[in-house]
Amino acid sequence: MSIDIALLAEFSDGSPSRSALELAAGAAELARQSGGAAVALAYGPGATGAASLGAAGAARAVVLGDGAAPAVTHAMAASAAVRELAPLAVLAPATPNGRDLAAALVGLLGLPAFGPVRAVRIEGGRVRTEQATLQGTVITVSEPAEGAPEPAIVLLLPSTFTPIEGGSGSAAVAQAPDSQPGAFGTVRIVESHPAEAAVANLEEATIIVAGGRGVGSAEGFAPLRELAAVLGGAVGASRAAADAGWVPYQLQIGQTGKVVKPALYVGCGISGAIQHRVGMQTAENVLAINKDPDAPIGEFADLFVVGDLFIIVPKLTAEIRRRKGI
Amino acid sequence: MKLVVCLKQVPATTAEKRYTADLRLDRAAAEAVINPLDEYAIEQALRLQESGAVDAVSFLSMGPEQSAEALRRALAMGGDDATLVTDPALAGADAWATARVLAAALDRLAPDVALMGMASDDARGSLVPGAVAAIRGVPLLSYGSELRIEGSMARVRRLTASGFNVVEAPLPVVASVTDQVGEPRYASLKGIMAAKRKPMETWSLADLGLSAADLRGAALTRVIEARKPEAKPPTERVENMSPDEAVTRIVDWLAARKLVS
Repeated sequence: MSIDIALLAEFSDGSPSRSALELAAGAAELARQSGGAAVALAYGPGATGAASLGAAGAARAVVLGDGAAPAVTHAMAASAAVRELAPLAVLAPATPNGRDLAAALVGLLGLPAFGPVRAVRIEGGRVRTEQATLQGTVITVSEPAEGAPEPAIVLLLPSTFTPIEGGSGSAAVAQAPDSQPGAFGTVRIVESHPAEAAVANLEEATIIVAGGRGVGSAEGFAPLRELAAVLGGAVGASRAAADAGWVPYQLQIGQTGKVVKPALYVGCGISGAIQHRVGMQTAENVLAINKDPDAPIGEFADLFVVGDLFIIVPKLTAEIRRRKGI
Repeated sequence: MKLVVCLKQVPATTAEKRYTADLRLDRAAAEAVINPLDEYAIEQALRLQESGAVDAVSFLSMGPEQSAEALRRALAMGGDDATLVTDPALAGADAWATARVLAAALDRLAPDVALMGMASDDARGSLVPGAVAAIRGVPLLSYGSELRIEGSMARVRRLTASGFNVVEAPLPVVASVTDQVGEPRYASLKGIMAAKRKPMETWSLADLGLSAADLRGAALTRVIEARKPEAKPPTERVENMSPDEAVTRIVDWLAARKLVS
C-alpha cells in the first residue's frame, strides 16, 4: 500500500519557488498522517539543487530536469518517476505550469484528480480533499472512488500550506528514471520577453492593495502603491484594470488571474464581481473602499468604506505613517 | 487546416445550483450556457478562420443531450459543424474520463488544432486540455493569450512571472487560450438562422469504440459531502462619515487585527 506523498517542486532562477516550499511543508504534514515520506519531483532552473528542499520538509527529491524548458516537457519524466515511486498522492500547485504537469499525469497514467482544493488530509490511509466549487457557493469533500488507481493528483491553491521556517537537513537527491520526452518534448520557447519593470509575485504577498475600474487610469494606481508600500504589501488589480492596460496582467487577481490568500486584502474601486471574488475570497481580512454603496464587494468585505478612494487612500497612508512615526 | 473547439455547457454563473441525492450537480435544474471561458476559444478559432490560417472550424462537446443547445449557440457565432458525444454512462464524468472521451472523439475528427478554454466555470481544474494531449500523444500549448499557426507549427503567447514567452510546437496540437484573446462576438440573427442548417452529429460511447468499462464508472473520484460555506460575520459598513472619521475607523480596524502597529 502506498504511503509516500509526492509534490511537484518548481524551481526558477536557481531556487525553489514559493509553491515548492508550501507543498514541501504540506507533503511533510500529510506524510506524517500516512506514515510515509515526502518526495519532491523537482524541475526548472536550479532543480539539480533540490537537496535544499530537505529543510523545507522533503525527505527525498527526484530531479525531472533542470533548465528553462516549458514545464510540460518534463511530463514523461514525471510520469516515469511517479510510476517508480508509487506514492499515495501527488501534490501540484494550482499554477499554469503545475496544472499542465498534473494534467499530463492524469492523462498518461489514468489517475483521479482533485482541485484546486483548499484543504487535504489523509484519513484511514485515504486521500480526502475539500474544494470550493460553483464560484464558492458549495464546499465539496471528495475522495478517490473505490478501486481507483493511485496516486491521487491534488491541485493546491496558493497559501494552503505555510513553508517551514528555520528547517534543516538535506533531501536525498536522485535522477528521474530514463524516459523518452515524447510529444511533450517538442514544446519549446522560441521567444522570451521579460517585463520592463520588476513585477511583484502576488502569491507571496501577505498584504495586497488592489485597484479596479474605479481607479480610472494607470496614474490612479500611484496612491495605491503608496498605501501598499507603507503597509509592506504589493499592488494587485481586477481584470478591468489589467484589460485597460493600467497594470500588467501579472497583477490580475481572479478566475483568470492569480488566486491569492493574503492576511489583508484592500479592494479600491473594485466592484467585486464573482470572477474577481473567486481569486481573493479566502483572504483573511477584506477591506473595501468604493463610492458605490451597492457594489457587490460590500456584501462580502469585512469592512466596507463607502467613499472616494482618491480622498480616503492618501489620508489612510498618511495616518498609518503618522502612527508608525515614519 | 482543421480546428476543433471543445466546449462545455455549464450552469449560468447566476443560476441557482442544486446537488442531486448522489451529490452530483443537478444540471437539469440550472439555466445552462456555454462555459464563458470556452467562448474565448471559439472567438480565437473564428479569428483564425477569418484570417485564412484555418479552413474549417468544428465544435465538439461531451455532456447530456441538452448540450446540443450550447453547440447550436456556438454555430450561431460561426464555424461549420458540430459533434455531441452523449451517453448515459458519462453522467458525473471526472477530468480523466472527460479527457478519455474527448481524445477518442478527436482521434476520429483528426484536427490539426484541438482548442479549449483555459478552465471551466464549474470544475476549475484546467486539467482536460493537458490530459487530452497526453492521451492522444500530441504536444500541449496551454494558457495562450494568442494562438497563431505558422506553417507546420502552432504558437501561443504565454504570460510568465514578469513578462511573456512565445511557445511553439509542431502540429497537430492541443491548445488552450485565456480571456486575453479578444472579446467573444455575439451571435447575429443571421448567424442564429444559419446555425439551424449547419450539420450536427451525435455520437454515443459505442460510436467511439468505448464501453462504460473503459471509463471505470466515469469517475475515479467521489464526492462524499456537499455543504454551504461557513457563514462569515456580517460586513461592517462605514458610511456617512467624514473622510477623517472613516480613516480613523480603518486604522483602528487594522490595528485590532495587528495588520498595522
